Amino acid sequence: MPDLASGLVAHIRDNSTRLAAACTACGECYRACPMVPRAAALNAAEPEAVMAGIRDILRDGAGTPEAIAFAGACTRSGVCTPACPEQLDAAFLMRLASLRVRGTLGEAPRVAGKHDPGWSARVKAFARLTMSEEEQTKWL
Amino acid sequence: MAVTADASVTFWYGCNMARHGEIVRLVTHILEAVGVEAAPAGGPGYCCGSTQEANARIAAGMAARTVEKFNQAGRETVVTWCPSCHMNMDDLMAPVTETAFETQHITQLLVSRADRLRPLLTHHVPARVLLHAHHGFQGRVPVNTDVPMLLGMIPGLTMLDHPLRIPGHMCSAIAPVPGELARAHRETLTAMDAVGADTLATIFHSCHREAVALERGRTIRVANWIHLLAEAMGLPHTDEYKFWRNAEDPRAAIGAERIAAAGDVVFERLVEPELRRPTTI
Repeated sequence: MPDLASGLVAHIRDNSTRLAAACTACGECYRACPMVPRAAALNAAEPEAVMAGIRDILRDGAGTPEAIAFAGACTRSGVCTPACPEQLDAAFLMRLASLRVRGTLGEAPRVAGKHDPGWSARVKAFARLTMSEEEQTKWL
Repeated sequence: MAVTADASVTFWYGCNMARHGEIVRLVTHILEAVGVEAAPAGGPGYCCGSTQEANARIAAGMAARTVEKFNQAGRETVVTWCPSCHMNMDDLMAPVTETAFETQHITQLLVSRADRLRPLLTHHVPARVLLHAHHGFQGRVPVNTDVPMLLGMIPGLTMLDHPLRIPGHMCSAIAPVPGELARAHRETLTAMDAVGADTLATIFHSCHREAVALERGRTIRVANWIHLLAEAMGLPHTDEYKFWRNAEDPRAAIGAERIAAAGDVVFERLVEPELRRPTTI
């Protein structure tokens, strides 16, 4: 059986490396982000320094507390992408950083994940309430 | 690639949309009415991997199996509903597992068939509507302009403009951030008041399930955009989740027989706490 994970792991690593190399850490994405004013840990942070920390995370580094907080605060608003003067997919860059600080490649998580152990059972329970047996058979 | 006339597509409704079987049902009816046969697919068996994103090994397996099932279904287009699923397919699934289909969001498909949809919207829906709009996903699929365009075709319905854009791509993204959902709801009610809206139109399921409780004690209506299109087409439906969430006693509202069918223990542990949780504001 092929290793299903290797392709995704390589994809995350390759794109982390690519985007970290292309990012200039100018901080424009950080300045545009609507979550920054809402994150107390970022109150005194310098945009350029935070993004340098994000690049470090993408390069398998430890990052900085502010960079980890910024990656953890990402809610995928996507306004960072049009703000990037290098025309990078900054939202994808931040998505990768967010995955990395949650330990997706097997590292120790630096930000708590949102894993819900009851998710599958809950979804199926709601399906039994809102769908007929025939619909469940066909649709799930 | 545009969906061709009399096409057959997979409607990938995601997982948490299982709370809204009526929306899945209505989407298939609406698509059929505009010439698209839709086969719904969703739930944990069609996961995009986002629920396990903290572990790429598990997420990869779930995502690959979903892509393989879509490939085996043999339909050229997978029509998405959930923005998380849509973005995961673009960013993490299709680049890793070869796909034999293209992906299109439901709003894009309906906009492309607006000329066929418009004559079907014959029932007046008297409503002054504010769109519940997030920043996210708009850069990928212009839902914040496409949904108002579609709803604007409904006779009697007035779409109202307001610059409010909530962070995140849908409310499930901001819900874990302390105070953010309450802030979003407060700002939404203020915006509705400012423009004179009586109806809040949600786009996504996670926003809808969080916003329906705003109806309590207020003379506003919270409806999903699909509910409004269906009403204009005369398609009967009930938003049961909203009814249960706003019922004084969700158990009584659902009924013992249906709860038993869902599983008493699962209902008590996983469903009932969600239906009984306090309102955000």
